[in-house]
Amino acid sequence: MDTTQLLKGVLDLAVLAVLRDEDGYGYDILRRLREAGLEEVGDASVYGTLRRLFAAGLLTTYVVPSESGPHRKYYALNAAGRDQLARSGKTWRSFATTMDALLDDRGMAA
Amino acid sequence: MTVTGQEIADYVDRVRSALADLPPDVRDELTEDLPEHLAEVAAETDGTLVDRLGTPEAYAAELRAAAGADGRPTGSSVERRLAALRGRFAARLRGLDTRLGPLFGYATASEFFRPLRPAWWLVRGWLAALLISAALGEPSGLLPRLGGSVLASLFLLVGTVLVSVWLGRRSVGLLGWPRRLLRLGTAALLLFSFAVMLNVDQHASGAGSVLPYSEILVGNPYDSIKDVYVYDEEGRLVRNAQLFDQDGVPIRLGRPTCLDASGNVPVPRNAYPHCPDQAPFGSPAPSSVAPAPTVSAAPPSVTPSGSAPPAPSGSAPPTPSESAPTASPPPAPSGSAPAGVPEPTR
Repeated sequence: MDTTQLLKGVLDLAVLAVLRDEDGYGYDILRRLREAGLEEVGDASVYGTLRRLFAAGLLTTYVVPSESGPHRKYYALNAAGRDQLARSGKTWRSFATTMDALLDDRGMAA
Repeated sequence: MTVTGQEIADYVDRVRSALADLPPDVRDELTEDLPEHLAEVAAETDGTLVDRLGTPEAYAAELRAAAGADGRPTGSSVERRLAALRGRFAARLRGLDTRLGPLFGYATASEFFRPLRPAWWLVRGWLAALLISAALGEPSGLLPRLGGSVLASLFLLVGTVLVSVWLGRRSVGLLGWPRRLLRLGTAALLLFSFAVMLNVDQHASGAGSVLPYSEILVGNPYDSIKDVYVYDEEGRLVRNAQLFDQDGVPIRLGRPTCLDASGNVPVPRNAYPHCPDQAPFGSPAPSSVAPAPTVSAAPPSVTPSGSAPPAPSGSAPPTPSESAPTASPPPAPSGSAPAGVPEPTR
């Protein structure tokens, strides 16, 4: 199954998750997602998701001037974002458990 | 690093034109981080941006989908229609770009023009210097002028060129109104450059027509000659003198401007002067006509004593006894008379 299809559904959650402990700028967030194993995540998808979460009021932004290169726009979770992360996280866990059970029952899991 | 700033700028431009149907603020928001992001991508990977990220159009589509910017009913219907029109125009332009490419030996025409951008920056700086110089009311030309000082104009030129190059290198990341402002300024400069070219062209063609004209003037100093008068060593006018050049060819100068005895204009012939009566130094023959003294010298007119100098009326210390009879001459019209007159008469 194509991972990109799955990603579409959970990218919001993944982005919120990598911002839980530390704020980050666009490329930084992308790198964290890739390092976590989401290799197929598209650059534009991450940037689009960040804009959408920001527009939905789940993120705040601030600009950090850098001595070398352009200024960077950092994204941070706000209270609403943390709420959303907790709720979506719960939904995902129950969904994943269901899927695991489903696959176990049929004897298809490794 | 194989990816240049120009490639980044081009990628950003194409992403933005693919999003042209979105409201400008949404589009700016979506592509705000893009130059910076592309710079990071370029720094970390080899190969072109397209190799790494796919085509700008695909990138734009992914961005649009992930941001959920697709079905956002923002702006009025007119604005949306305008935006759609812009999108279609941008697509047309891209098509034209690809079709014209082979003419220049490149995949796209923009690929041919992109390396020429720094040259355009230099020209833009020069145009800006000219514009500033013209705005200050300095005489127009191909070089900026500033208060008649060569050094000042040189500084102006170097300054504007440096600013233009700096802007050219910085404009990659410009979005929103600074970008619009830059484009507006560029358009104004282009308009101005047409004025400069017209001006220069006029001067060039004007100089071309003046030159041969002045040569004719210089080459023929005898144009103003109407007649020739020859005097012998005694200072007498020679009549019917014949003039020849070194080859024995008669020299023709001037033409008769007077009438001969029969009242006709004489036929020009090689006998000078045509009009002996107009000789500049004396008459052709010792005539008895002496220069008559003009009668205009009028004798000093003697006017009646009415306007004679008025007698010193008030200022003269009047001695009543002796000057009384002599004080009768013309009544002094001066205002001070009443003071002086009554006394002597009394």
